[in-house]
Amino acid sequence: MKLRILIADDHELVRRGMCSLLREHPGWEICAEASDGREAVEKAKQLRPDVIIVDVGMPNLNGLSAIRQLAEHDPKFKIIVLTIDDSDHVIKEALNAGARGFVLKTDAARDLVSAVEALQNGRMFFTGRVNDMVLTGFLERGSGNGNSASRLPSLTMREREVIQLVAEGKSSKEVATLLNVSTKTAETHRSNIMRKLGLHSIRDLVLYAVKNNIIQVRMPGSEVAQGQAAGVADFSAHGN
Amino acid sequence: MTVRILVVDDHPVVRHGLKFLLDGYRGWKVIDEAADGLEATEKAEQLTPDVVVLDISMPRMNGLEACRLIRKSVPSCEILMVTQHDSPQMMREATEAGARGYVVKSNAARDLQAAVEAVSQHRPFMALTSVPTN
Repeated sequence: MKLRILIADDHELVRRGMCSLLREHPGWEICAEASDGREAVEKAKQLRPDVIIVDVGMPNLNGLSAIRQLAEHDPKFKIIVLTIDDSDHVIKEALNAGARGFVLKTDAARDLVSAVEALQNGRMFFTGRVNDMVLTGFLERGSGNGNSASRLPSLTMREREVIQLVAEGKSSKEVATLLNVSTKTAETHRSNIMRKLGLHSIRDLVLYAVKNNIIQVRMPGSEVAQGQAAGVADFSAHGN
Repeated sequence: MTVRILVVDDHPVVRHGLKFLLDGYRGWKVIDEAADGLEATEKAEQLTPDVVVLDISMPRMNGLEACRLIRKSVPSCEILMVTQHDSPQMMREATEAGARGYVVKSNAARDLQAAVEAVSQHRPFMALTSVPTN
């Protein structure tokens, strides 16, 4: 029986590339694709793939939140995180959320097949720096690396979802529709978040979301330095 | 006659995706790949492709600079920018650098075929997220 793989990435080109790489393996098939975290969770629950590949930076529901929901639904899901960001914070969040593989997008062509093979055989897979971090016990409880994220007030999974949606510019009504709750409930989540985090404006919330990798950043116009990827949050969408 | 295409992007998985989309069309052939602007200019000079599919944000030399150099050294070669920059300003800079086409990566599956067809015939194709402006 073929190994069934679900791919979640908001860029179709990247999904095409991954599908093309993985389909070369005769024993594997791509059972579904998703272009955001919410779709990934829904399809994974319906189709129960053997391996799930999740991009961290996706709209609507980001990869880390999707992984948390998947792991909570069924800890047996085998999840590989795909990301352009190998900062300490992202690595720790991904692994604590339940991912068992971590691949950098720049190395995906080299590492993705090995990562899927590893998870297929019940092993973990981490690229270079992540491997070092795991070996030096980064994930031990109370390792205290001074990362401010470890001192943040704890937010519920639902609150993290709401932060992302509000930071992406959605109104309370739109948030309510997406999460299938009442507008009043969405507004209550929003005020709880602002209170817990000590924030006073949507702009503060967006900054918080960017700083904690809940949303990704895109830079406008010609501010492209050689060798750098682009990005800046669009603050014009958010009133104060 | 076969349209010969050079694919340039610093992410191998994106190059895979572009090759997958482009090789699927009869009459097109991806002849080579490059991972940055410098390699793109070298390969364009050696191979004289009909179309270069070129990312903008790349190490060593970005796509705008590569576009200028390729247009100078291989005037017969048309450039199609395929980029994450969904911005009229960036599109303008790409056009000024000599690009004949501009497609946003998030719409590559929608626009790539029409874009390559157009630029390979020396017609412009510019499309941002809203609607193709061809």
